[in-house]
Amino acid sequence: MVDVKFPDVGEGVTEGTLVKWLVKEGEEIKADQAVAEIETDKAIVEIPSPKAGKILKLIGKEGDVIKVGSTLASLALPGEAAKVPEAPEAKPPEAKPPEAKPPEAKPPEKPAEMPGRVLATPSTRRLARELGVDISKVKGTGPGERVTDEDIRKVKEAPEVPETRPPEIVQPEVAPEMKALEERIPIKGIRKTIGERMVLSKFTAPHVVSMDEADVTELVKLREKDKKIAEEKGIKLTYLAFIVKAVTVALKQHPYLNASLDPKKNEIVLKRYYNIGIAVDTPEGLMVPVIKDADRKSIMELAKETEKLAEEARTRKIKLPDLKGNTFTITNIGSIGGLFSTPIINPPDVAILGIHRIRDMPVVIGGEIKVRSILPLVLSFDHRVLDGAQAARFMNTLIDHLKDPDLLLLDVE
Amino acid sequence: MPRQKIVDMSVDWLSILDPEGNVDKNLEPDLDKGTLEKFYRTMVLTRMFDDKALKLQRQGRMLTYGSSLGQEATAVGSAFAMKPDDWFFPAFREHGVQIARGIPLKLLYIYWMGSEDANLTLPQKNFTVAIPVSTQVLHAVGAAWAAKLQKQSTASIVYFGDGATSEGDFHEGMNFAGVFKTPTVFICQNNQYAISLPREKQTASKTLAQKALAYGFEGIQVDGNDVLAVYSETLAALEKARSGGGPTMIECVTYRMGAHTTSDDPTKYRKAAEVEEWRKKDPIKRLRMYLEKKGIWDQGREDTLIKEITGEIEKAVEEAESYKPPIENMFKYVYAEMPQHLKEQMDELQGFISKKKGE
Repeated sequence: MVDVKFPDVGEGVTEGTLVKWLVKEGEEIKADQAVAEIETDKAIVEIPSPKAGKILKLIGKEGDVIKVGSTLASLALPGEAAKVPEAPEAKPPEAKPPEAKPPEAKPPEKPAEMPGRVLATPSTRRLARELGVDISKVKGTGPGERVTDEDIRKVKEAPEVPETRPPEIVQPEVAPEMKALEERIPIKGIRKTIGERMVLSKFTAPHVVSMDEADVTELVKLREKDKKIAEEKGIKLTYLAFIVKAVTVALKQHPYLNASLDPKKNEIVLKRYYNIGIAVDTPEGLMVPVIKDADRKSIMELAKETEKLAEEARTRKIKLPDLKGNTFTITNIGSIGGLFSTPIINPPDVAILGIHRIRDMPVVIGGEIKVRSILPLVLSFDHRVLDGAQAARFMNTLIDHLKDPDLLLLDVE
Repeated sequence: MPRQKIVDMSVDWLSILDPEGNVDKNLEPDLDKGTLEKFYRTMVLTRMFDDKALKLQRQGRMLTYGSSLGQEATAVGSAFAMKPDDWFFPAFREHGVQIARGIPLKLLYIYWMGSEDANLTLPQKNFTVAIPVSTQVLHAVGAAWAAKLQKQSTASIVYFGDGATSEGDFHEGMNFAGVFKTPTVFICQNNQYAISLPREKQTASKTLAQKALAYGFEGIQVDGNDVLAVYSETLAALEKARSGGGPTMIECVTYRMGAHTTSDDPTKYRKAAEVEEWRKKDPIKRLRMYLEKKGIWDQGREDTLIKEITGEIEKAVEEAESYKPPIENMFKYVYAEMPQHLKEQMDELQGFISKKKGE
């Protein structure tokens, strides 16, 4: 099967509006045949199919805004149609939550901090130098916020106001011989973005952490059994895939967990689409690829996609759209170690689930001690949106589904 | 002390084949069947090459691309007038010239997919694509002057658009060519638009060809959709250049049927009716009618040709897409000997890559 994608058809185009479908579902098309008309900020263009085949599914409706890189249609290649179940990998157009910046995105440059970027004539700049005024800090009153001679003089005449700064951690004086033993690593790229986002989250959302355990003995058995079937298809069936499935089921029953807060409008946004972010440890730092519409995917598909996105993240091949649009995030800390943790919410989500290593533990069942497989779970949530009771109910639903994986099958739409 | 006319100059117009494929018997060049078929084949190939490139771009498989749809006669007619030993300096819409000069389709696609390797055509005296407007005029005049100083009987031929005639580089090059009588042929592809600026807003001059008169050499306007006219005039101009007669400017009056590039929408600045008027003057259609009237072309041959070219293009795309250039090539092409600063950059990149591979 082949996806017909919407590429960057201009120079730096990021999205377009779907004007018209030029083919129908079920239609046999030729290679290079136009599939859709899309209007970008540059032109209305026709998007041709890279291959000949049968259109399995058209994704999105006329009038939708389509992001560059997203799939327009899925196509069964000749001779392939019989094998393909109906539109298995079809992705609907990306939903539009308040755009969270992906971990990879660079923080916006702040022009005010860039010396020399303010508008001013050379003679005004010279005046500023002569008077010892830092022109980059002067607010311009001229046309287009140009800094005028008058602005410079006013600043010079104004009494100096000590700058208010947030308190800083003072670096203690270190003896030179000790300094030689230190290594300094500049904070940039992903590391910098992680820092900024985590500070934003931790200092705006009041975090509450709830911890629990799920008895996943049955799930362990089921996975052992299904693992081989998956292997034959080249899929590595992980617990994570089951957990993602169970999370989407629980989110549907507890919509306040799949939400975000819009502080400007003072509203809680409940989302009826389920894009699950998966925190991935990469050599450059933590990245969060997003599985779009996880609720509509089978466990096998979830396993396959998780593995693909994680690998792309680790090798830095991941595309920006795959790092955007999360509505809920899972962090799989257990794969490395630790009994419990207190994860920080990934904005704009209102909750994050931490999962830890499954261990065999003694459990009392009906007055007897039995050995059961136990999965420790941690939920951090934003207390502005959620209360402890809601979070606990969500966790109960999640635990029920992990305990009895048959339920997962019943909940599949 | 009378007032009298001291300069009296004129510009000719040449057209041999009309839009219905009727030929002016007095001007018809003496070309054999094989040559005419080669003209036709190359023009059709150019059109199909362009069409495929646009499709690839819209599928995200190629970068920004400027189609030469409608300008095939100017490209192919002038290209076949050249000798392999002549220097060729293109702008960025000379796909037809490049194809006629024998540059493999695969390399042309690779170039527009973004690899430097496609510029490796120098042994054939084909210069690289010039994206900046009219800079190549200077290179062409320089190469011609060098050939003259070395007493070689080769010419240089340079392509540019109507917009380029308002650029300083064009005027400097033209003046220099006139003063030093360099063996240069200036082919102006007047396709009526410099992106969105129409020809009548480009200059108040009645023709672009007359710009040459100011610099002391001949300028002529030809029907750019008439491959026979373009061929005949370019052949004469190149012959004149090689035999010491100096430069010529040929303004080929044609029309850009498509957008400026894949990032442009021409419906925003020109009327559909105007495009339709030019469609009637299509260069391929008129050559085909001429060949049919001569009895050397029919539908059967057309079908075979289309099939053949489709296969060639498919193969070229496949080869281009499977081509993975070595990373050092980025650093290799500007200088014969790599300078230290580029070497350092290359080493740094290679170190980075091998470190990544080790991880």
